[in-house]
Amino acid sequence: MHLFIFSFDRMVAKIIIRLVLLLLIVTGLNFVYVATFYERDLSEYGKEHKLIRDRQSTSDIYYFGESSNTSYATNDSLKTSIADLMALFYPSRTVLMVNKEATHAGIYRNWLNSFDPDGKKPAALVMTLNMRSFDAAWINSELEAPLQQSTVFSRPFPPLVNRIFLGFESFEKKDLKQRDEQILKNWEETKLQFPFPFRYSTVREWDRGTADPGFRKADGSWDAEKTQLACHYVKTYAFNITEKNPRVRDFDAISTWCAKRGIPLYLNLMAENVGYADSLVGKELVFLMRQNRDWLVRRYSTDNCIVVDNLELVDGKDYIDQNWTTEHYNIRGRMRIARNLAEQMKKNFKHEYKKAY
Amino acid sequence: MLFNSLQFLVFLPLVVILYYVLPFRFRWVLIFLASCWFYMAFVPKYILILFFIILLDYSSALLMERLRGKARRLCLWLSLLSNILLLCVFKYYGFITFNIDQIYHFFGEEFHAPDLALVLPIGLSFHTFQSMSYTIEVYRGRQKAERHLGYFANYVLFFPQMVAGPIERYEHLGNELKKEQRPLYDNFSNGFRLILFGLFVKMCVADNLAIYVNQVYSDPRYYSPVQVLLAVFFFSFQIYADFYGYSTVAVGAARLLGIHIMDNFRTPYLSRSVTEFWSRWHISLSTWFRDYLYIPLGGNRVSVPRWCINILIVFLVSGLWHGASWTFVAWGAVHGICLLLERFFSKLFGREEGVERSAFMNGLLTIKTFLLVSFAWIFFRAESFVKVGEIFEALRGNAVDAFVPQSPFFALLLCALLILSDVLVYRSRADLALAGTKPVYRWAIYTLLLFGMLALSGTQKYAFIYFQF
Repeated sequence: MHLFIFSFDRMVAKIIIRLVLLLLIVTGLNFVYVATFYERDLSEYGKEHKLIRDRQSTSDIYYFGESSNTSYATNDSLKTSIADLMALFYPSRTVLMVNKEATHAGIYRNWLNSFDPDGKKPAALVMTLNMRSFDAAWINSELEAPLQQSTVFSRPFPPLVNRIFLGFESFEKKDLKQRDEQILKNWEETKLQFPFPFRYSTVREWDRGTADPGFRKADGSWDAEKTQLACHYVKTYAFNITEKNPRVRDFDAISTWCAKRGIPLYLNLMAENVGYADSLVGKELVFLMRQNRDWLVRRYSTDNCIVVDNLELVDGKDYIDQNWTTEHYNIRGRMRIARNLAEQMKKNFKHEYKKAY
Repeated sequence: MLFNSLQFLVFLPLVVILYYVLPFRFRWVLIFLASCWFYMAFVPKYILILFFIILLDYSSALLMERLRGKARRLCLWLSLLSNILLLCVFKYYGFITFNIDQIYHFFGEEFHAPDLALVLPIGLSFHTFQSMSYTIEVYRGRQKAERHLGYFANYVLFFPQMVAGPIERYEHLGNELKKEQRPLYDNFSNGFRLILFGLFVKMCVADNLAIYVNQVYSDPRYYSPVQVLLAVFFFSFQIYADFYGYSTVAVGAARLLGIHIMDNFRTPYLSRSVTEFWSRWHISLSTWFRDYLYIPLGGNRVSVPRWCINILIVFLVSGLWHGASWTFVAWGAVHGICLLLERFFSKLFGREEGVERSAFMNGLLTIKTFLLVSFAWIFFRAESFVKVGEIFEALRGNAVDAFVPQSPFFALLLCALLILSDVLVYRSRADLALAGTKPVYRWAIYTLLLFGMLALSGTQKYAFIYFQF
């Protein structure tokens, strides 16, 4: 027994020594990794992190955006993004556009980690505030896994540790079935709140009520396309934003991060086709859209943060996708939003503002 | 829970520490709970299927021990058929109904089987085969029926090997699980080496090869013959690295608990014949088929035509065991035919057993075997015969040659590394080979393996290929 305890102690000591040695090796490998494959991996899996890191010293204003920023109509005379159009109003400032399709506050929040705390402080952050990013379908979108993967290198850990997270896929990665279940559950179980009586209490009921009877064409036949679009509008915009929404938690964190560092934050609430929602579904849906807008404006309007309200700024004809719910605008729409944003930014950059159009 | 997940890297040390901290009499409870937890990380409700298998075979064995004659045989058959039925329902239901539908269609009739929408429980083929081997052994009187339900449950559930083998026999694993293990440095060091090596092989080699292979196999019509040929060869290494990596981690994880489980691979691509290949590839399955199908069919103690039929039956069933599709059956058939042809030519050229061949000749035979096995893998990897046709068409140069897959050089380097490691461990095993080297070289190899696993792993985590069986 005595011999066993003695050899057991020796064994534990041996194991501890080897574990320490392994830890030292991993620490050393971190340097090897940075010197060899890190930049290659960043170019493939951490483009946004690399962009912010490389351009922080020369940039003033950052525009975090998604497809609404860069989408354009094929017949647009100018293909310029909203961020670049906004930059025209502040020629003395360098605007860095950090853009990735389908991103949302959960991703932007991770991008904030890419800023070097000892580097040049951003003069302002502009973030796309897309109302649809609060809905169940976007929250549980199948694009979420690749988006989360793209932010792994923004985590505040040594590069090799982040690479380990990437290799072990240590990020939110639900399968398609799980995501669909979550969306359906939300549509079936979440009660919609109206201050007036309304015949549908869930998205599911509203969707069914819209699909049946649906729409009819002039000749009396069933208009499948229009009915489908109306149902899609219901599923996309029929929700009440509450504090429990994960996007709210993300924007809260972003807002706190900026306030703590004294960096002005502009939440650029994108325009939605409210007029079409009204004609297609009805005033109740428009009520929810406006109620959600008001909720966001109330929550995030502080000394340090401005919610730029573009919700009803763009005319229906200026939406590129007439048959789907997107925030893709033609040049007229993009110019309007950029100008509205630039006007609001005067609060912090009054002397640098120059009327561009 | 996947071996190549961070959860497992937390789970395993916790289980190992608790295992040695707990008094011996409670350890089976820990293994049982840990195994349930491990399995339920996939689809929790499917643990009930495992419980059913455990209770069925546990009680069948106890009953068989009391019975004699026809009643004993009936008991065995009931147990085996229940296991097979379970497998048929979950794994082959879609395949069977599809084929019935095709037959009806041929005669101009319609057949509509209800869609059960069942998802195949992970590793079901492994559990059922492992459990069936136990009941057969009890029936044959070579194994005493286990009276402790907990130990028997752990035999079926033991987490390191529960989802993809090795398919262990009760005589071995049952006894290992009952031994009172003490924490030994050798077990820890060898277990660590095996896990490190296994994860490297899976995460760095298999997952990186998968990128090229998946790209080309998704639409082979658009790749050049050289690219398709590379994808065919890369798949040979991918599936080997994938399954070998998994099995090595399984052996290593068990070893940390002081439990020895069998090796499932012994450098299969260095085999000089298809026969030798099957004594080195997925050894636990090959021996299972040998003991419970080939020998009961008469083995080689029958006439030559009957022996040929026996061989073909074993390989066709083996193909079907792998997957519910005719492509898997074809894969098995190709192997069976190759093996028969090899035996035929071997007899024809009359080489006597035991006579050494030259190294050059051995090299040629190894290449021949690798080529045969690689081309057989096409049936295994392709989802349908249409895809098989596309691969062969592309190999003949009838492809459009429009896409450019990623550069194959890194993949080639990984294949070369795998061959090199096989040559180095030809008469040994990764952990033993490493243990025999000087500490400086050993730690240099650890460093390389760690770097490969941590910094060069594939960025898309693929589930182990054999999990689907």
